[in-house]
Amino acid sequence: MTDGNSDIRKDMRGFIEENFLYLRPDVELGDGDDFLALGIIDSLGFVELVEEVQSRYGISIDDVEITEDNFGSIEAITGFVERKRAAA
Amino acid sequence: MVRPQGGQPVAEAALLRMARAIRHRGPDGYGLALDAGAGLVSTRLAIVDLPCGWQPLASEDNGDLLVYNGEVYNHIELRDELAARGERFETSSDTEVVLRMLEREGLDALHRLNGQFAFAWWQPARRRLTLVRDRFGVRPLHHALLDDGTLVFGSEAKALFASGEVSARPDLAGIDDVFTLWGPRPPRTTFAGVEQLPPGGLLVWERGRITEQRRWWTPTYGAGDGAGADLRELMGDSVRLRLRADVPVGAYLSGGLDSSLISALAQIEKGGELRTFSIAFKDPRYDERAHQEAVARSLGTKHHVVEAGPADIARALPAVLRHTETPLVRTAPVPLFLLAEQVRANDLTVVITGEGADELFWGYDLFKEVVVRELNQHDPHRARALLEEFYPYLGEGGARRGPAFTRFLLETGSPDDPLGSHLTRAEATATVKAFYRPEVAAEVGGTASLDRLRGELPRGFDGWSTLERAAWLEVSTLLEPYLLAAQGDRVAMAHGVEGRFPFLDHRVFGYSASLPPERKLDGMRDKVALRELAADLLPEDIVERPKQPYRAPEVVPFFGPEAPEWVEESLSPAALAKTSIWDAERVGGLLKRCRAGRATGVREGMALVGILSTQLWHEELCETGADAYPPETSEPRVRIDRSASRSAGEAA
Repeated sequence: MTDGNSDIRKDMRGFIEENFLYLRPDVELGDGDDFLALGIIDSLGFVELVEEVQSRYGISIDDVEITEDNFGSIEAITGFVERKRAAA
Repeated sequence: MVRPQGGQPVAEAALLRMARAIRHRGPDGYGLALDAGAGLVSTRLAIVDLPCGWQPLASEDNGDLLVYNGEVYNHIELRDELAARGERFETSSDTEVVLRMLEREGLDALHRLNGQFAFAWWQPARRRLTLVRDRFGVRPLHHALLDDGTLVFGSEAKALFASGEVSARPDLAGIDDVFTLWGPRPPRTTFAGVEQLPPGGLLVWERGRITEQRRWWTPTYGAGDGAGADLRELMGDSVRLRLRADVPVGAYLSGGLDSSLISALAQIEKGGELRTFSIAFKDPRYDERAHQEAVARSLGTKHHVVEAGPADIARALPAVLRHTETPLVRTAPVPLFLLAEQVRANDLTVVITGEGADELFWGYDLFKEVVVRELNQHDPHRARALLEEFYPYLGEGGARRGPAFTRFLLETGSPDDPLGSHLTRAEATATVKAFYRPEVAAEVGGTASLDRLRGELPRGFDGWSTLERAAWLEVSTLLEPYLLAAQGDRVAMAHGVEGRFPFLDHRVFGYSASLPPERKLDGMRDKVALRELAADLLPEDIVERPKQPYRAPEVVPFFGPEAPEWVEESLSPAALAKTSIWDAERVGGLLKRCRAGRATGVREGMALVGILSTQLWHEELCETGADAYPPETSEPRVRIDRSASRSAGEAA
């Protein structure tokens, strides 16, 4: 695990806890846990999450990339950002 | 108010407080009747037979008394029919027609009444009181049965509180209905011990006991009685009847198909004198003014626009809650409250509107979602493509859609669930419940409200199509408690303005229910029959305009630059502790997002409005004492006092 990788995880966890988990105090979110299956993030929340990733990491995201594979969990986002950075 | 025994008097002071509590519904005057162990009071919004028509109305034959709110539109035809049989009338009011019909035909007469009404019929000889509410529940009617058998009733719950016999305490299950279905499901209200008659419901009380309680009308599908009718003729007649009044009648114009169609028919009927009223918003995401003005120009109406800004919405919200008597999940009733205020300021007291068309002719997106979900059962690829085409963007800012949205719309609930069409709304609304205190969640949270609804589905429901079931659910769960009450009657009558709804003529319902489904929703084309009718009456762009849901800003009025100070006070931990419904820590998380301008989602908007409106509803109605309801001090226009003679007679 690189430092960048752990920063992304930490950033994303902080963002999700601050913005979505206040509604779900019953959930202990693991890095691999599925946001949608747990009902933590709704459709507009998902859009907000994509926009956050876009602006925080300065990457551009195409509509076809907005999938559960890329944004469905903290782990998925971390991998997605790393791939985008590597490809840049 | 009626008491079990004739010897127990009803205090006139209580009736005067009740009258004052709902004088906004009847600002033109009031009347009261005292009988042995019974007292009736009525406030009047004078629309038909202005010089006479005062209530309570007493029968000369048998002493029966009637207090009645609303209108029976076909009273002229019914009067002619009764007159032909030899009946003589003292007034030209519809109230007298209703009383005569009840005396002659009993409750069978209800089926012949075309209108919107709630009334109480007192038959002293039998010590029997009958309460009746119109088919769709346009007019409200509340009651409370006390331990000693006394029945206290009134149009609004605050009349009951003003009586001094009923206290205002929250009913958590009623509140939970609001955060599931958007309104309390009758007979439940948001107040413990207070019930409301369901739409099309009646209740008979005799000598301290409720002896009958049933629906005299319910919406049914499949085998309606209007299939052969002509929609142009039917709608024309419905509008014509609803323009009957001895005062001018205006129209609400949203800029969409339904209200435009009603306005067009009214303008034809009135010969060019129609005045139309619209809500406009400073925020262009909600504003429909260009469409409204285009319709008004095309129809040649005298048009009035009321602009609702965030500060106006925040300022009016506490008063709106006092009138709706229920917490809300949307701020949309507030601009309609402001609109009614302006209608009244323009000397109008009656408006017709397009309410009901989307329920009868399947105009809401909810019906299209039913079609897409059914398609998803056997062709998921096509279902997703349709959804893409149908909802290209999300939310107010035109944000990109993501997988959560598709999954939410296509996969919420089981396909076999009878409430399937409504689970996405219930699920989204249930966001508000995440803020309940743990003890409230333990008592009423989860799916209790939906489970109750599943147990109350009507006979025949299983035999209806999925779309017909969706229509029944929409009429039964959203139309009355939210659209007709919180967003309709309550905010209009707050200013003494009566709304009339031509689509909710039972003949139009019967027609729509018996139409082949494709005449309502054909693929993704909605309100097919209505659009065809409108093609001859309105500009093409209005006829083909897709529905724009009517909404108002939800977070900005309370956290934007013009937000009033009381918002933070009402949501403070101390205020939340007083209401004992909301968890202060979780609410704190939401408020943080609101203050940072991040709470832009539909669910967060609902959560904020739900929590804030509950706080205000509690402050306005549950935290007030007896002095909140002073007595009426003006002279009554009618005063009937039989209490002394009858009590003495009974004692003897």
